[in-house]
Amino acid sequence: MLRRVVDWIDERAHVRDLYREQMVDYKVPKNLTFPYVFGVLALTTFAIQIISGIILIMYYKPLIAHAFDSTNFTIMREISFGWLFRHIHAAGANFFLAIVYLHMFTGIYYNAYKKPRELVWIIGWVIFFVLLMTALSGYLLPWGQLSYWGMVVTTEIPMSLKEAPFLKGLLGAIGETVSIWMKGGYKLEDLALGRFFGLHVLFLPLLLMILVGIHLFLVRAAGISNPDGYEIDKKAEPEKVVPFHPYMTLKEGAYAMWYLALFFFFVFFHMSHFLPADNFEPADPLKTPPHIAPEWYLLGFYEIFRSIPSKFWGFVAFNLSLIFLLILPFLDFSPIKSARRRPLFFIMFVVFVISAIALTILGTMAPTPTNAKLGMFFTFTTFLFFLSLPVISFLEWGWYKAKGGQS
Amino acid sequence: MSTWGLIKTVFFTALTVVFFFIIWVENPFTHHAEYEIPEEAEKIINDPKAALEGRELFKQNCTSCHSLRYDGIYLMSVTAKPEWSKIEKTMGKPLLEEKDGKIRVKGYFVPRDVYESVAFADLQALKASFGKIPPDLSTMYLSRGAGYLYNFISDPQKVLPGTSMPKLFFPEYDKEAPQKVAKIVAYMRSVNEPPPGEKAKRALMGVVTIAYFIGMGALLWLYRKKVVASMKH
Repeated sequence: MLRRVVDWIDERAHVRDLYREQMVDYKVPKNLTFPYVFGVLALTTFAIQIISGIILIMYYKPLIAHAFDSTNFTIMREISFGWLFRHIHAAGANFFLAIVYLHMFTGIYYNAYKKPRELVWIIGWVIFFVLLMTALSGYLLPWGQLSYWGMVVTTEIPMSLKEAPFLKGLLGAIGETVSIWMKGGYKLEDLALGRFFGLHVLFLPLLLMILVGIHLFLVRAAGISNPDGYEIDKKAEPEKVVPFHPYMTLKEGAYAMWYLALFFFFVFFHMSHFLPADNFEPADPLKTPPHIAPEWYLLGFYEIFRSIPSKFWGFVAFNLSLIFLLILPFLDFSPIKSARRRPLFFIMFVVFVISAIALTILGTMAPTPTNAKLGMFFTFTTFLFFLSLPVISFLEWGWYKAKGGQS
Repeated sequence: MSTWGLIKTVFFTALTVVFFFIIWVENPFTHHAEYEIPEEAEKIINDPKAALEGRELFKQNCTSCHSLRYDGIYLMSVTAKPEWSKIEKTMGKPLLEEKDGKIRVKGYFVPRDVYESVAFADLQALKASFGKIPPDLSTMYLSRGAGYLYNFISDPQKVLPGTSMPKLFFPEYDKEAPQKVAKIVAYMRSVNEPPPGEKAKRALMGVVTIAYFIGMGALLWLYRKKVVASMKH
């Protein structure tokens, strides 16, 4: 019976051809390593976020008089399993960012941003940026103290343009306009909450879905990169590739299941970090909490901003770190791919990873003078990584030529 | 895998695990104030029966300044208003409790804007005498924790110098003062934490979910091995 139904559909939609073409005849490199799973895990987490988010929207009320109570009373206490969906959504946001960071570091390590995959990387960067916006807007919605003051600090960041050493009037006006535009006024109130709610539940997820679609299309178009950094000619070297299904689907399926096991461990047994205690106090515009810091996924950028003594140059530096990430394919123009074959790049990659980790951890600490100095040092090493890439590429071009164009 | 490959794998895995342990589980670089609770008080706080007595103590001692809307407790001066019981019933949602096998209404959850409009004059009067409106205590247990609350209620000035919260329980005049404070904290805990039965259910649910995913992962892995072996022939 089922076979006949599928036959009927197949005759009209040719789904079996599509399946064979896209899953079995689609070949991927045989030597893909474990970190290649992060893409699938990010997709899994995205699905989790959409599903849990839809359930939360049904009960959430985007008005400042009701936002806090609708999350903490209606969702957490009145609705059956409301607590579970809130836990899933809160943990999912953190896991999503974590997986996306790991995915990005994997891409950097294997030089997956190089020709012919520059567009994959650029669209990926846009996804990362939109994801940060989504996380930021979603963090405001529970309307607790941390939500409120975190957003106050965030909307103040463009104001640092006022301290520019040049074009003070113009840059200051731009900064102030952006800040007011984000808040919908001089104070964070219903207008701001409504804006961020709309962005968070409809516009940004829709954008993300479209971007993820483009990202996946581009990965298919350019082919998956390869840990060894050689492009595989799928027709000439059939021994180096395997069919996507069942080799990859089942392997990554198993990894995804174990990932979900870890994810649900946090959801059921360790939520104290993802639902921080301070955010269970309703937002109070008259009471500034002693420590305001953004969530961990922004701390690296925040520490760059914070450790530089001038607000304006801090603003410039943290934007520059984002822009360097975007133009990575063009900073690194070496013909050789993958850190496995590039010792100089490998060393700088380790420097980069350690500085990113150090900056994030410094961001959780109090802003003492020593920490600010350490922050400056790791900001410097972060930029050293980006700026060393053209130099390394230049050297590697020399080696490449010396070997007669063979990598 | 080569030795060098193994070293790299171990290095990057360790770095990732240590990083996420620090930011998600236990951060040794930040300090959180710890508040100690005497053992006896700890026992009372964890006792669900003490929470019932705590509710009565809360109503007697705290409601002249504080409300606890999530459990249907409002300012004394507001509940004394003749129109209040009607407002509660028309604008609020009933909070149910099971007692002796019967379900009864123990109070009403009134939306914040409705409550604050009705209580406007009372809240402003409190603000005039204390400098700020005493907060609603619905989620205070979650944001402050048992240790802070026990020490704060026992002696507010010691924990938060300059606060306008008065000391209400004096061990030198009332032998039961520490127990009373512990009972109030037990009550606030019972409002914010699921009851023990529910908690056990959730833990069981968690264990089953995790076991399911580990099992499914293992099955997929075994199935893949079989499929790959059959494809090689």
